[in-house]
Amino acid sequence: MKKLINYEAGDRIPGRQWVPSALQLRQYAEASGDFNPIHLDDNYARQLGLKGVIAHGMLTMAQLGVMLTEWIGQEGVITRFEVRFEGMVYEKEEITFSGVIREREGNTLICDLEAVNQDGDRVLSGGAQITVSQ
Amino acid sequence: MKIMVDEELIGVESRPVSVKVTAERVRRFTEAIGVPFDGTVPPTFIITMLDIKIPGLELPLEGAIHGEQKFIYHRPLQIGDTITYTTSIKQVYHRQGKLGKMTFVSVETKGYNLAREQVFAGISTVIIPRKGDE
Repeated sequence: MKKLINYEAGDRIPGRQWVPSALQLRQYAEASGDFNPIHLDDNYARQLGLKGVIAHGMLTMAQLGVMLTEWIGQEGVITRFEVRFEGMVYEKEEITFSGVIREREGNTLICDLEAVNQDGDRVLSGGAQITVSQ
Repeated sequence: MKIMVDEELIGVESRPVSVKVTAERVRRFTEAIGVPFDGTVPPTFIITMLDIKIPGLELPLEGAIHGEQKFIYHRPLQIGDTITYTTSIKQVYHRQGKLGKMTFVSVETKGYNLAREQVFAGISTVIIPRKGDE
């Protein structure tokens, strides 16, 4: 596997796939204390005009975080991490996370990140800054 | 729906709150997001420890959307750390969108360790539709 220190502008970050389940939304509600029924109760979500329950935004961001931590391992640290939530993530959807190095300044990697669903609709965009360990 | 969010709240800060990062809480979080617990703290974990209570701010549960989330990490967060945090309102603004008037509220949380060194900053932007308030 390519070492973090060898990443340069234009290089792609190893991606990640994720399919949220109803069980996982329940587990995340319990771990986070966010019991908004929009994530847990299908009837409630449908009454609001949604197609069904949706993942917590922070659960989706956590999955993007897993992509970053699996990629950097012990070879660096995250110094900035930000996202904009752009679309609903429904239970059982196939979400693909990806990222690319926009810029390298010394030992700092600046990354552009995004997530799309199975229809190619972007559900999240964001960025991260990684400091490569010496 | 009465919404207690206005520009006059900018700068209003919460009381400091202290929380301890325990292995149990981190383990529960890693199980919920579907990764093995390895003793490290995932990058978005800290938000699940925060209970945001700003005097005068009441965010409605229904209809509020988490629009953006940003983290700045000054030093690694570790199991066993005690974090003291305060939360303040950074920005409030209104925009006219396709779905009517929306209020954007950005809340900033700053966390410090026992040595009073800053560990992280988190900025959450919540979007609130102002139904019947045009």
